[in-house]
Amino acid sequence: MWSVIVSGLATGALFAATALVYNVMFSTSKVLSITTGHIAMLGGVFGAYFISGLGMPWIVGLLGAVVVGAAFGWLTDVLAIRRVLARSDEHLWLLSTLALATMVQQSVALWWGTEPKPFPRLIPQDFSAGIADQKFWLPIGMAIVMALGLELFYRRTMYGKLFVAMSEDAFAARARGVPTDRIRSLSYVIAGAMGALAGFAAGQLTFAYFALGLTLTLNGFIALAVGGLGSNVGALIGGAALGLLNAFSSYYVGGEFQQTISVGLLMLILLLKPEGLLGSKSIRAV
Amino acid sequence: MKADIEPRHGRTTKLAALVVAALLAVTFPLWAGDLYQLHLAALIAAFWILIGGLNLVIGYTGQLSIGHVGLLAVGAYTFAILAGTLGLHPALAVGAAGALCGLVGLLLGLPSLRLPGFYFAMATMAVALIVGEFIMANDELTGGGIGLAVPALPAPFDSPAGFYYLALALAALVTWFSWNVARQMWGRGLIAIRDNPVTAQSVGVPVFRAKLKVFVFSGITAGVAGAVFASLQSYITPDTFVFELSLFFFVCIIIGGRGSIVGPLIGTVILTALPELVAPLAKLGNFFYGLLLLAVVLLVPEGIGRVFEVIAERLRPRRVESVPVSPDLRRLARALGTQR
Repeated sequence: MWSVIVSGLATGALFAATALVYNVMFSTSKVLSITTGHIAMLGGVFGAYFISGLGMPWIVGLLGAVVVGAAFGWLTDVLAIRRVLARSDEHLWLLSTLALATMVQQSVALWWGTEPKPFPRLIPQDFSAGIADQKFWLPIGMAIVMALGLELFYRRTMYGKLFVAMSEDAFAARARGVPTDRIRSLSYVIAGAMGALAGFAAGQLTFAYFALGLTLTLNGFIALAVGGLGSNVGALIGGAALGLLNAFSSYYVGGEFQQTISVGLLMLILLLKPEGLLGSKSIRAV
Repeated sequence: MKADIEPRHGRTTKLAALVVAALLAVTFPLWAGDLYQLHLAALIAAFWILIGGLNLVIGYTGQLSIGHVGLLAVGAYTFAILAGTLGLHPALAVGAAGALCGLVGLLLGLPSLRLPGFYFAMATMAVALIVGEFIMANDELTGGGIGLAVPALPAPFDSPAGFYYLALALAALVTWFSWNVARQMWGRGLIAIRDNPVTAQSVGVPVFRAKLKVFVFSGITAGVAGAVFASLQSYITPDTFVFELSLFFFVCIIIGGRGSIVGPLIGTVILTALPELVAPLAKLGNFFYGLLLLAVVLLVPEGIGRVFEVIAERLRPRRVESVPVSPDLRRLARALGTQR
């Protein structure tokens, strides 16, 4: 039973981390990017490439993966967000991020191959460790550290406060002299680094697999919608709930209907409490 | 009713182009080079049956469904199971595939069409993944990962040319339906929903019901398309219905331009044929579609057709006739006089 709970929490931690990445990008641009899951996928694939492929020590591999993620985050802003936000059509960012996500996924498939490849062990540990295995505890620890770090960043640093200001009202922030374009770029870089870190930490759980991105985009979004858009604590709760639900349903029902059950949870929450567990109600001006 | 804005000669050229295109499509089996080209043409027609319906959802109503490949798969498997395993008459099986997919569209649309843009896109994407899961899970019914053989259609449609004509007729039917919807008040209402749902509601467009009806229609066409597609492929596996196929449908519509029928039709023809004719593009595959989508969104969000319009305007600037209106003050005074 414990193994089900721990493995569920570990997958949930990855979903929660993806939801946090969504939140960081959403706070400054009001965009829910389809590339979110693909950032984590890049972290896993490049981590495996740097460590297993090039034989680097794991700390260098981690740094490399984070740099790749941050670069991709910046690229997302430049290619898919900047020009699209200048126009006022609200659907266009959905199309541009979908296009970018497809391009990245296909490039990785062509370069890395379509088979899932193993991710190297980071800490020397016996494979018989059971529920104390690092592949479970690394993502859980990472998600908690990430949420705490984000909270500190928002509360204690000037840039964090600028993020909050922009998420409240980007126009007002601009009027007060906040360089909104630069802050948005920065938020995408941070989101890219965080996503790559999440993919790296969960690499042993998910393997380095090119098609991970789309699944993570969906599940991270479900975690986000369940917890409440914009809330970091909500993201953690939503991720954990979704991960546990997945683990228990595959324990009792079988692994075939995971996606169905997750989407069922999403629909249930959206029907009962459309703003999510901890989200703030948005009032639409008509 | 459509106002008569277009100049006469513009309409005759359009009509002539339409007639020529229809003639080319009907006579295609006579001058096609080989059987593969005929297969490709039938594939285009099968895709268009789906895209023609989906166009009303994406292009007119602005609901970004990225999961229609799930409905295509449901239609294909329904046809394969009913006509193949159970031995039902293929015509009945095609109808059943359409009906079932319409039902799936209804069940999917009821909750998800109430959601805002991104939520709706995610819900439809989830459906594509869920359908894949179901096919893999129920392997005694669907053959699981091994797949399922699909029976050919009966006598007049079992030859490549006969099949092509059937697909073409269905495609023409869908085009006619969607054109009828688009040019009437319905179509205006849908465009109003796309451009501003609040305004549309305030002027009396039944937003949710209009969305739902169009979505169910696109489900039915997706089911019929699935049946035709499966019969054309003659063997289907879950790998036939990858998520990227959804992206392909999507790109065809966006590139052709939203709020048009001819644009997405041309987009479908070119995008289906291009990777088959130009070998390096086939290797890049989805990367190419992604790149194309990104380029169109960034440069010409109105669709490629807009480029030609701009060029045409440059070459032959439209004459703007000014119609001076002189006020009939005496009649006005009389009218005011009688009122008082």
